[in-house]
Amino acid sequence: MTNPSIDQAGGIKQSQRPIEFLLFVLLAFLTLLTPFAATSFGAASISSADVFYVLSHKLLGIGESLGVRERIIWELRLPRVLLAFIAGAGLSIAGSVLQTVTRNPLADPYLFGISSGASFGAVVALTFFSQSMLWLSLPVGAFIGASLSVVMVLSLCGRNLSTQVERMLLSGVAISFMFGAMASLMLYFSSPQAAASVLFWTLGSFAKASWHGLWLPAAIVLIATLIILLNKRQIVAMRAGDETAHTLGVNVGHLRLYMLLLCSLITAILVANCGGIGFIGLMVPHTVRLLFPGRYPLLLTALLGGLFMVWVDVLARTVLSYQELPVGIITSVMGSIFFLFILGSRSARRI
Amino acid sequence: MPVMTKWTGVNNPCTQADSDAKTVLSVQDLGWQLGGKAILSAIEFSLAEGKMLGIIGPNGAGKSSLLRCLYRFIKPTSGCIHLFGDEINTLSAKAFARQIAVVLQDTPHHFEMTTAQLVALGLTPHKGAFDFTSRADREVVAKALEKVGLQDKANQAYESLSGGEKQRALIARAIVQRPKLLILDEPTNHLDIRYQIQTLELLRSLNITVITSIHDLNLASALCDELLLLNNGRSVAKGSPKKVLTEQRIAEVFDVCCEIRPHPQHGNPLISYFYGYDVSAHHARHDSTRVDMVGGQDD
Repeated sequence: MTNPSIDQAGGIKQSQRPIEFLLFVLLAFLTLLTPFAATSFGAASISSADVFYVLSHKLLGIGESLGVRERIIWELRLPRVLLAFIAGAGLSIAGSVLQTVTRNPLADPYLFGISSGASFGAVVALTFFSQSMLWLSLPVGAFIGASLSVVMVLSLCGRNLSTQVERMLLSGVAISFMFGAMASLMLYFSSPQAAASVLFWTLGSFAKASWHGLWLPAAIVLIATLIILLNKRQIVAMRAGDETAHTLGVNVGHLRLYMLLLCSLITAILVANCGGIGFIGLMVPHTVRLLFPGRYPLLLTALLGGLFMVWVDVLARTVLSYQELPVGIITSVMGSIFFLFILGSRSARRI
Repeated sequence: MPVMTKWTGVNNPCTQADSDAKTVLSVQDLGWQLGGKAILSAIEFSLAEGKMLGIIGPNGAGKSSLLRCLYRFIKPTSGCIHLFGDEINTLSAKAFARQIAVVLQDTPHHFEMTTAQLVALGLTPHKGAFDFTSRADREVVAKALEKVGLQDKANQAYESLSGGEKQRALIARAIVQRPKLLILDEPTNHLDIRYQIQTLELLRSLNITVITSIHDLNLASALCDELLLLNNGRSVAKGSPKKVLTEQRIAEVFDVCCEIRPHPQHGNPLISYFYGYDVSAHHARHDSTRVDMVGGQDD
């Protein structure tokens, strides 16, 4: 009655259920463990017990201060771990949503030339503002540059945005090259010192994380994630195609525009705070897709992205002694290797 | 929404042709132009509750365009469409999707959903932002799958289904949508004859009002209550299959000659096509009782 290969596919599907459950449990465990474990890594030797002690002292008022170690944990490491988590989660969920609403598996959060726009803004800030003001002018400049690129892409597409995804993607590429060229030109005529700091910033780092710089990215990522989750049914319906989504009562044009703006906002604020961290918005959604075929677990995507970023940052802090690596380099190296590995094992299984 | 409908009842230029509660859909003077070219013009029909309307006509006649106007994917240039007496543009996207479900021909490539997930998409217009998929919803999905005979394939990838099964899965999704009117765009395309009949009989068994475009005239004749014949964007004939399907009309519209007899089972027109004939030549010879198939090539 039925095709044997189909039955086999059904069998595979059934046996995947326990694996899925195991993955959920593992992730939940990792999420609980990560803040303690990740905070204890770094130049100064600190144990997970110290972290627990400091947290209970700071949050619950139990116990006494640990002095320098407490300052390292509370003022340096913890904001850094949190910022890394927020950045990873935000970029991953933005990538996942963008891949769905543009129906382009290669879409990533830097789709609209956001990273080039941000780089350009950062270069302008570095060139025209004094070194002492840089803590403020750099993120603000980067945010303005990123927003500018988004606005330019959207105005280039005009009313066609809802229907012509290809046109939008191509506009993004064009804008990206334009800002890239302008940033390069300015860097070419600037001091080597400025060029080095722009390069470091472009590759991404959480070294400047602090409590007062944390609340804005945290609030934006949290609110955007909530809005995305509330629209999840509509976003999932868009996977069946624009016309089918329309017949399911989804206002396709509006939803696409809102989601593009929301994801751009997430990306712009993150790029302004942490620099251009590549590959994660592309890799994490695809990894989740491969781990949970057919599903669309947005929250899980965010969680996995956040955890991944925290541990990449731990590597960035510890791989070289006395020096930090930019996280963007590590995400790209790890991401590409992991990705090729998964793709290879998957295609082998299919054949 | 009720407020809006009252408003349009007063101001809408179209007068309601039929205020009968049994009328599901009424279309008046519908026209659609694309780039100055009339794709559809002056189309009028109405459909009573529980009936199955087949839209037939040659390729490019405007069948899909007409359907797209009906489910609001394109905005007609002129005319109006009423659904249960409401002008369709006054309904919100969600309210509209609760009334009309649509089964289209294609799903995108790399469509990574299981059959059950695809069918559950039918819940979309019934759910608010804060509504979770409940146990009752899952039961609705399971029942729809059972109705189309796909309960065993619920957890399989939709892409792995056969053509007929895919069509049935899409119909199950439409069932979950609980529409008053179901629109299908050539649901029997690419299906073998068993699945063609199975699909249309499934549609009949749902007891809802159906509009479907369909290529196979014999299938349309056998299973539709009413037919609407389109040619060059105009309505050429409408009514029962017996009324619409005549040898003369098929020759004019499809440029094919044929002979029509009552079907031995249901009595509706059964069309036999002749091959290798020019239509005009056929009409010249049509009076002769038998057509010689072998030596019939005209010169």
